[in-house]
Amino acid sequence: MNLGKILPILVFLPLAVGFVLLFLPNKIKFLSKALALIISVIAFALGIRIFSLGQLDYSFPVLQIGNVNLELLLSAKPLGAFILMFAMGFGLLITLYSLKVHAIHNTNIYYGAILLTIGGSAGILLSNHLLFLLIFWEMVTASLYLLITTGGKNSNFAATKSFAMIGASDAAFLLGILMVWALSGTFVISEIAKGPVATTSSIPIIAFLLLLTAAITKAGALPLHTWLPTSGEYAPVSVMALLPAALDKLLGIYLLVIIVREIFVLKSAALGVVLAFIGAATIIIAVMVAMVQHNLKKLLSYHAISQVGYMVLGIATGTPVGIAGAIFHMLNNAIYKCCLFLCGGAVEQQAGTPELDKLGGLGKKMPITFITCLIAALSISGIPPFNGFVSKWMVYQGIIQMGTSAQAGGAAKLWPIWFTCAMFGSALTLASFVKLIHSTFLSRLPEELKDVKEVSPLQTGPMIVLASLCVFLGIFYHVPLKYFIYPALDIEPGTAIFGTWASGLATLLLVAGIIIGGLILAVSLLSRKVRIVPTWTCGEVQTNDQMRISGTHFYKTVSSMGGLRQLYTGQEKGHFDTYNQSGRLGLALTEFLRWLHSGILPVYLTWVTLGLLIVLFIVCKIW
Amino acid sequence: MGAVFEGKDKEMTQALQNLFWILIFPGFVFTVCLGLVASWIVRKVSSLVQWRVGPPFFQPFYDVVKLMGKEVLIPEEAQQTVFKAAPVVGLAGVLLLSTMLWRITIDPTRLFVGDIIVAIYLMVLPSLALILGSSASASPHAAVGTSREMKLVMGYELSLVLAFIVVIIKSGGQLSLAAIAQQTPVFSISGLLAFLAALLCVQAKLGFVPFDMAEAETELASGALIEYSGALLAVWKVMQAMMLVALPLFLVMVFLGGFTGALWAGIAKYVLVLVLLILIKNTNPRVRIDQAMKFFWFYCGVVLVAAVILAIIGNSYGINWL
Repeated sequence: MNLGKILPILVFLPLAVGFVLLFLPNKIKFLSKALALIISVIAFALGIRIFSLGQLDYSFPVLQIGNVNLELLLSAKPLGAFILMFAMGFGLLITLYSLKVHAIHNTNIYYGAILLTIGGSAGILLSNHLLFLLIFWEMVTASLYLLITTGGKNSNFAATKSFAMIGASDAAFLLGILMVWALSGTFVISEIAKGPVATTSSIPIIAFLLLLTAAITKAGALPLHTWLPTSGEYAPVSVMALLPAALDKLLGIYLLVIIVREIFVLKSAALGVVLAFIGAATIIIAVMVAMVQHNLKKLLSYHAISQVGYMVLGIATGTPVGIAGAIFHMLNNAIYKCCLFLCGGAVEQQAGTPELDKLGGLGKKMPITFITCLIAALSISGIPPFNGFVSKWMVYQGIIQMGTSAQAGGAAKLWPIWFTCAMFGSALTLASFVKLIHSTFLSRLPEELKDVKEVSPLQTGPMIVLASLCVFLGIFYHVPLKYFIYPALDIEPGTAIFGTWASGLATLLLVAGIIIGGLILAVSLLSRKVRIVPTWTCGEVQTNDQMRISGTHFYKTVSSMGGLRQLYTGQEKGHFDTYNQSGRLGLALTEFLRWLHSGILPVYLTWVTLGLLIVLFIVCKIW
Repeated sequence: MGAVFEGKDKEMTQALQNLFWILIFPGFVFTVCLGLVASWIVRKVSSLVQWRVGPPFFQPFYDVVKLMGKEVLIPEEAQQTVFKAAPVVGLAGVLLLSTMLWRITIDPTRLFVGDIIVAIYLMVLPSLALILGSSASASPHAAVGTSREMKLVMGYELSLVLAFIVVIIKSGGQLSLAAIAQQTPVFSISGLLAFLAALLCVQAKLGFVPFDMAEAETELASGALIEYSGALLAVWKVMQAMMLVALPLFLVMVFLGGFTGALWAGIAKYVLVLVLLILIKNTNPRVRIDQAMKFFWFYCGVVLVAAVILAIIGNSYGINWL
C-alpha cells in the first residue's frame, strides 16, 4: 500500500471543504461548525500519523513547459512533520475554542478560512517544490485576510493592511524563488539542498534577502511587523491565537530554517550580522512598545513580535544549540502565545472590553483563565521551570558559544550586544506581563464587572491543554528535544547543550520548598483565626473606584524618560511604520502624477514637444 | 543533568539525599539560621554606624516567632490564593537558589541543578513573588509598591546582565558556577567595575536603602507588604533573611573566587560583601524610582559597557589585568 497518499489527503481535504464553506449561505451555521470540527480532528489525526510514519513521499506531475517541470512534490521530512503535527493540533484547539466565541461575523467564512489555513499550512510544511510552497503560502495569506474581516467593525482596514504587507513580501518571495531557480536550476528543495547556493556574490545575497523578507514578514519580525498589532486590535482574538501567535510563527521560522540550512550556505559575515541584528532589535524594540500599551490585545500582539527575535537570533548564531533553541522556542512560543491570546479572548468576551484600565480583579471571577494566563505569562517571561525558560536558555548558550568559539566571525564579535538584548528583553517581558496580570486579574474589581463569570469548558479546555503543555515541556524538556527537535535538525543528542539545568530536580526542590513554606503557614493559619478585613487606607474613607489603581501607568517612568519619550511619541504617531511610510510615498507619487495630468491641452503639448526635442537630441547626438 | 535519568534505586537514594539537602543542610534549616544571623549583623552594624546599642543576638528569631503567633488579617478584596501562595513561592525560590549555591560550593566537582544563567533567573523569583503578592492584596499602596518593585527589577537587570557578560568573557565562555568560582575577576579593572555594579544590583534586589522605594515606610507605609500580617509576614521576613545568605554568596562565587581557598577566607569574603552592603545602606538616602532606573540604565550601563569592552580587549590580547 502506498502510504504517501495520505499526504495529499491532509492538504486537499481541508482546502476543498474550506473552499465550499466559504460559499455556504450564512443561515446554516451549524453545518460549518460541525464540518470544521470534524475536518480539524481528521487533520490532527493525520498529522500525528504522518509524524509517526517518518519519511513519506508523494509526487503528481501537473504540467511541463520546456525544461520547467511543475510537479506536485509532497514529502514528510522530520522538521516539517514535527511542525505539521503541532500546527494541526493548534488548528483543532482553536476550532474547539471558536465554537463558543460570540464576536465572529460571517461564521461560514470564518470556519472556511480556518480550514483553508489548516490545509495551506499542511501544504507549506509538506511541499518539496518551491512554487507549490509559494502557492500554499499565498493561500494562508489570503485566508488570514478573510479571517481578520470576520472581526466586524474596522476590521477591513486591518485586514487590508495585513494583506498589503504580507502580499508585498510574498512578491519578494516569488522573485527570490525565481532567482534561486536561475542559480541552481531547479525548484525542488531536496535537490537544491544537495548543493546549496553560496552567498558570495551579489545575486545570491539579493535572493537570500528576498526570501528572508518573506519569512520575517510572516513571522512578524521588525521592520515588517506592523500588520500584527493593527490586526490584533480589530481581528477576533481566536484568529490572533491561530495565525499570528501560532501558525505564522511556525511557518515563518520553518521557512527561515529551510532558507538558512537547505537553500543557502551563509558565507558572508555581513548577512550573519544582519540576521542577528534583526533578532536583537525585534526583541528589544517590540517589548519596549508592548510595555506601554493600554489594550490587552495590542499588548499581546507586540509580544508576539518580540518573541520572534529569540528565534531569529538563535538561528543567526549558527550553533547547534542556538538553532535547536530557536526551533524549541518557536514551538514554546506558539503554545504560550496561543494560550495568552485565548485567555485574552475569554476576558474580552466576558468583561466586554480589552482596555486594561477598565479591567481588574478578575482572578476571583475567572479562576481557570487566571491560572492558565499566569502560567503562560510566566513561560513567556522565561521564569524557570516553565518551557519559555528552557528555550531562551538554549538561545543564550548559542550566543555564548558563537561568541567564544575559535573562528569568531562578524556576528560573533558582537555577541555581548545580542546577549544583553536577549536577556534584558526577557526582564522587560516580565515587566509588561506583570502589568497585564495586575490590571486584569489582580488589583480591584470595578463595580461594572461584579457579575462576570468563567467561560464555558469548550473555551477553558484548550487553555488548560496549552498551559499544561507549558509546564510539561518546561520540566521534561529532554522529551521534545530528543523526539522532535534533534532528529529534525540532525543533531546528535547530548552534544548541543553545554549548560546545566536539571529541571526535574529543580522542580522537585521547588515543590519541597513550597511544601515546607506551606506547612509553616498551615500550622499558624489553622491554630489562629484568620480575619477578613477591609483594605487599610490609613483611615481615609474612599470609594472602590478611587482605590483601584490600574497598571496602565506603571511604566510611565520609562516612557517619559528623556530620549525615550521622543521615540515613544514617534512610534505612537506611526513614524516607524513601514506601511504608513510607504503609503505616504505612494500618495506623494500619485500627487505628482495627478499634477502632471492637469487636463490642459497646452501643457500636454509642451511635454510632448519637450520629449520630442530630447529624443531628437539623443538620436542625432547633438552635444 | 543526567542525574534524573539514572536507575530507579539510585534515584530513590538520590531523592532522599536531595531531601536532606533541601531540608537541613545546606537547605532550609541552615539557610534560615544563617540568614537570621546575617540579618542580626545588618541590624547590629547599622546601629553601630548610628551610635546605638542595637538588638540582642536572638532578636530576629524572636521577631519571626512572635509574628507566627499573631492573628492573620486578609483584605476582603484580595485574590486570596495568590495572596497566601506568594510568600511561600518566594521562599521556595530562594531556598532552591541557596541550596544550589551551597551545594556547588561544598562539592564543586558535581553539577547541581543549574549554571549561572539559571542562577540569574532564579534570583528573579523572590521579586516576582513579592510583586504578585502585593498586587493580589488589592491595596492602592501596594499597587504603587508593585510598580516600583517591577521598575526596579527592570532597572538593575540590565546592569546585572552586563556585569555577567564580563564574568563570562573572563571565564572563556564557561557557564558552570563551579568553574566560574575558580577565578577571581575582581582583580582586573573590568572585573572590579562589574563587581561594584553587581553589588549595587544586589543592594536593590535585597530592597536595601537607597533602593527601598517599593517598601518605602515613609510614604507607602511599607508598600508592597502593607496588607501582610502574622504568619504570612513572617514567611516574607524569613525569605528576606534567606536572601541575605544567597545573594552575597552568589557575588562571592562569581566575582571573588568563591570558597576555593581556606574556609575562613571564604567566610571573610562573605562577611566583606555583607558589610559593604550594610555600609551602602547606612550612608545613603532613598532615591526616587526614576532616579534609580536612570542610575542603573545610564550611569551603570555606560560604566559596564566600558568594562565589557576592556574585558574583550584584555581577553583577545591576553592582558589579564584589564
